[in-house]
Amino acid sequence: MKVAVIVFPGSNCDRDLYHALRYVGLEAEYVYKRRDLDEFDAITIPGGFSYGDYLRPGAVAAREEIGEEIKREAGKGKPILGICNGFQILVEMGLLPGALLQNPSGKFTCKWIEIEVVDNQTPFTSLYKPGERLRLPIANGFGRYVKGNLEPRVVFRYTEDINESDDLIAGIASQDGNILALMPHPERAYQRILGGEDGLRLFQSLKLFLEGKRSVSK
Amino acid sequence: MSTERRGYRFAIDIQYKSHIRDPRGETIRRVLNEKEGLPVKSLRVGKSIHIEVEANGEEEALRVVEEACKRLLVNPVVERYEVRKL
Repeated sequence: MKVAVIVFPGSNCDRDLYHALRYVGLEAEYVYKRRDLDEFDAITIPGGFSYGDYLRPGAVAAREEIGEEIKREAGKGKPILGICNGFQILVEMGLLPGALLQNPSGKFTCKWIEIEVVDNQTPFTSLYKPGERLRLPIANGFGRYVKGNLEPRVVFRYTEDINESDDLIAGIASQDGNILALMPHPERAYQRILGGEDGLRLFQSLKLFLEGKRSVSK
Repeated sequence: MSTERRGYRFAIDIQYKSHIRDPRGETIRRVLNEKEGLPVKSLRVGKSIHIEVEANGEEEALRVVEEACKRLLVNPVVERYEVRKL
């Protein structure tokens, strides 16, 4: 089971993500430039500041040629995960609805927060229970999610209003569930030495899904 | 003739839609109010992009600018824009 970690200039959570995937027994490989992604079973887009957040966070990375490959794999129903800047990139690519705006505080916010699992019917959340609360770190300047015309499939909500995101949304999925994006960082919380391990089951869920041991409803 | 191929310059003014909060603008307004004592009621910060395109005439140039806004420069979910000639 091989998972791609897409690295853009300015990505900075790529190694954390790589190690989290390997920690649960998945094979992981960095992808730095355009290539056929067919050989990968899942694709992940890490956090960071791709292209220095020029114009809008994720705007430039979303228009890289690798984006065409990601869209093609998404169309096949392959699991795709975007964390933080990866969320912003997926939204800019048009694979997920809405937009991410500057935090109303005007600050880069870096702290542990709590989210609630809303939807465990995705390839990334089957090992969580609906209503379960998770402690995960956030680290972003543009974390405020606003909905567009399309109602998103909500997967995670903040348990309190930390940045005026619409409906307290912390993470969403595509309608068929195969694309998941969230602002908090599960790859920074997958073992106790990191300060928490609530993110671990997200990667374990993916592994189970790829091994065909969990099906999810659409 | 206006059909001669040459550069056309425009400014694209991008602002958040009115229902979108603008934390940068709020901070700057507060500084003007509280530190400078100026009666500024509201202030919003946008982007201004100056662009030059090569085209056969202004109409064609404007189409290129609109296309640039649509494909990259503006996020229609949260932003609106105006194009003016420079």
